[in-house]
Amino acid sequence: MEFSGTQTIAASVEKVWAFLLDVNKVASCAPGFQSLEELGEEHWKAVVGVGLGAVKAKFTLDVTRPEMQEPERMVVKGRGKAPGSAVELSGDMQLSAVDNEQTRMDWEAKVVVSGTIASVGARLLQGVAEKLTDQFFDCLKTKLQAADATVTAE
Amino acid sequence: MATEAFKHGLGESYKRKEDARFIRGQGNYVDDVQLKGMLYGDIVRSPYAHALIKSIDISAAMQVPGVLAVITGKDLDAAGLAWMPTLSGDTEAVLALDRVHFQMQEVAFVVATSRYAAADGVAAVEVEYEPLQVVVDPKKALAPDAPLLRPDKKDKQPTNQIYHWETGDRAGTDADFAEAEANGVVVKQDMYIPRIHPAPIETCGCVADFNKTTGKLTVWMTSQAPHVIRTLFAIVAGLPEHRIRIISPDVGGGFGNKVPIYPGYVCAVVASLTTGKPVKWIEDRSENIASTGFARDYHIHAEIAADKDGTVKALKVYTLADHGAFNAAAQPTKFPAGLFHICTGSYDFKHAFVEVDAVHTNKAPGGIAYRCSFRVTEASYLIERMMDTLAHDLGKDQAQLRLQNFIKPEAFPYRSALDWTFDSGNYEGALKLAMKNVDYEGLRREQAEKRARGELMGIGISSFTEIVGAGPGKHFDIAGIEMFDSCEIRVHPTGKILARIGVQTQGQGHETTFAQIIAAELGMSPDDVDVEHGDTDTAPYGLGTYASRSTPVAGAATAMAARKVRDKAKKIAAYLLEVGEDDLEWEPGRFFVKGAPAKGKTIQELAFAAYTNCPPYLEPGLEAVNYYDPPNLTYPFGSYICVVDIDKGTGQVHVRRFMAVDDCGTIINPMVVEGQIHGGLTQGLAPALYEEIMFDEDGNILNGNFQDYLIPTAMETPHWETDRTITPSPHHPIGAKGVGESPTVGAPQAIVNAVVDALAHLGVRHIDIPITPWKVWNILKEKGLTAD
Repeated sequence: MEFSGTQTIAASVEKVWAFLLDVNKVASCAPGFQSLEELGEEHWKAVVGVGLGAVKAKFTLDVTRPEMQEPERMVVKGRGKAPGSAVELSGDMQLSAVDNEQTRMDWEAKVVVSGTIASVGARLLQGVAEKLTDQFFDCLKTKLQAADATVTAE
Repeated sequence: MATEAFKHGLGESYKRKEDARFIRGQGNYVDDVQLKGMLYGDIVRSPYAHALIKSIDISAAMQVPGVLAVITGKDLDAAGLAWMPTLSGDTEAVLALDRVHFQMQEVAFVVATSRYAAADGVAAVEVEYEPLQVVVDPKKALAPDAPLLRPDKKDKQPTNQIYHWETGDRAGTDADFAEAEANGVVVKQDMYIPRIHPAPIETCGCVADFNKTTGKLTVWMTSQAPHVIRTLFAIVAGLPEHRIRIISPDVGGGFGNKVPIYPGYVCAVVASLTTGKPVKWIEDRSENIASTGFARDYHIHAEIAADKDGTVKALKVYTLADHGAFNAAAQPTKFPAGLFHICTGSYDFKHAFVEVDAVHTNKAPGGIAYRCSFRVTEASYLIERMMDTLAHDLGKDQAQLRLQNFIKPEAFPYRSALDWTFDSGNYEGALKLAMKNVDYEGLRREQAEKRARGELMGIGISSFTEIVGAGPGKHFDIAGIEMFDSCEIRVHPTGKILARIGVQTQGQGHETTFAQIIAAELGMSPDDVDVEHGDTDTAPYGLGTYASRSTPVAGAATAMAARKVRDKAKKIAAYLLEVGEDDLEWEPGRFFVKGAPAKGKTIQELAFAAYTNCPPYLEPGLEAVNYYDPPNLTYPFGSYICVVDIDKGTGQVHVRRFMAVDDCGTIINPMVVEGQIHGGLTQGLAPALYEEIMFDEDGNILNGNFQDYLIPTAMETPHWETDRTITPSPHHPIGAKGVGESPTVGAPQAIVNAVVDALAHLGVRHIDIPITPWKVWNILKEKGLTAD
């Protein structure tokens, strides 16, 4: 499955980049996020729970960031498994400044799901993936904009 | 003076003996078996369709409370059990060693004190995979750049092609086609018979119980062929065969799915041998659909050469068969494409030439005979579709074209173009009866009127011929064992009978119909005959129930054993009545002296004498055994007519009428036959309209459960109308041919032919099954016919 989209975030490119660079902040926005452990430089183990209809699975993901061009491009890869299922993800994010206070993010994602999740949830996958993506960006925007508000209040 | 007690012989709708326990919920299925100290197994399966196994870490699983052991391919390899032979001469991984070949392939077996703990253990086994390129399309598997899917046998088979098989007269067929191209007509059609699953309601499973003290292994197993399984266990696992007992208890549907040995059985046996405790393994629904023997998956191209008047001359067929990751098709050794030879059907072809290429893909292994004798459904489907295509192209009526080309009743025994001897048949008799029953001419008039009003109605015919009842043993085998069958009859002193048979029921009603065969031969009530089966320690050796072979083979053995009993009873009667055997006459249940009918002895009196007053020159007792090797197969046939209406708004096909005229030779129990036909027709409706195992390009099975894999329920099933003609088999002792599979073989094409007939005037020539509303609606949309 391949997805792509464009988001406009009410924060500067630098702030968005700083947020994306902080894996803990990004992880806290990942729907179903349970834990994150650093395995080495630019290498993490993340545990994420996903529900697809009647099937619930806890994925253990091996996450890396093979490409980074500050402050405009980041590629994230994840490979993980849950009992009877496996997933491979890659996400490519491009940032550009709309103006000083607004950033445009063009993103592409590729997801390959195997096993029970793909079999039982085949017809639900696309819809669920879109919903999870929306949740992620809503969270990201809320946190970035809230951070801005906090700064302003000070 | 027939014995009063003689009722319910052949041709009587005697109520099924087995139903007394089934309707009370007292059946005994394998999951009902509970043994003291029993452990439970569950299988770790691959999420990938094609991958290398880099590592398996069982440490976390071993920490799960209740988990006692995790068996991996390496453990089995150490015992020489990592691979097992299939029924088609391939070897299949019991548990994958370094590579998985299909999604849901078995990778490890967890043994625990409860089913729940076993499942938790499965979730905790860590397997690291390296995904490989997946091949799901058999055409791509043959491409030069396709990855080699079975490197383990690259020395024997350097490509993904498993075999090329051909039969028939290529030159004669080509000559007929050249002639038809010049002066006649040639019709061609591609068709795909998708991968479907027998989907028995009871999934596969077993309880393996090895007793370390006695050294005896008992396995309760939901199997269609317990004796063959026993022999294979002895050969593969090196266990002494007399210390293996396979018990096939009540079986909740088999349909071919329960002929093979699956990895779970082997793992449960290994676990019991290791622990000395009984180990139960029962599949769940998804495991059954996704990993055990599928059926069909034939990509067919067929051509007919005919005269301009529609008289058929030659048939040419090329098929690409997708066998999945291992070649585990259930076929006799000599016949890699089974009895696909029956594809000339009920028609008098002069020549035929048939080729099949089988290939590996990254899908579950199988190719079993789902409620059909070895690839007969595929063969029958293609010829019945082709006859309709020929009628369509010539603008002829489908019934008339069939009547014109049928093998004539007086031509039997008939030698087919592919060199098989059809025992008996009256094809036009069956079709004419079906036409009369539905008022065929009236239906055609109604169709014309409806078409004029813009309504879509179709009439489809299938005049199929089957080939069932394997052996003869010199041609047919399962894993080398000749396909005979057997019956043992013990007559007790009071004249009651215990019979044991080599075949085994999965719902067909053997306990009733086999009792009726004995009752008819000995002139007694079937109430007095109990039939046992399915326990290899007590039943005589048999090859099992599948491919409609029980009545043709074991039924013959049963009649022959009963005749042996009668022959001995006659000797006793001659002794008691003080006459020569030639002076005795038989009437059902009794020998009497010719010319003095009052002077006689009943079979019960003779049984008593066999134990109490036996002639000094005979062995006491009254028992007989027969092992029957049939001289030929039997060829049941029938004609089905289906009437459909199509909803232009939704594309839904509604089967309005379905008339099934079957001819299975002599009928033992009409009620049982009708029940078999109802069930078989429903399983013929299923692939026509609903069933197909679907995969995405990564080899994920997309409908491995009953929510997504549609099988018809009572809601979808139309009203079935049945009728019969009776053309006995000349070589079977009671003239019976077998019927359980005919309707599943014959029905799909009647439905497809009806749908295509409803749309033929729009230029539609063929629609691949399953004919879903979505497919039909898209055709209607393309033709501008969808209702607003």
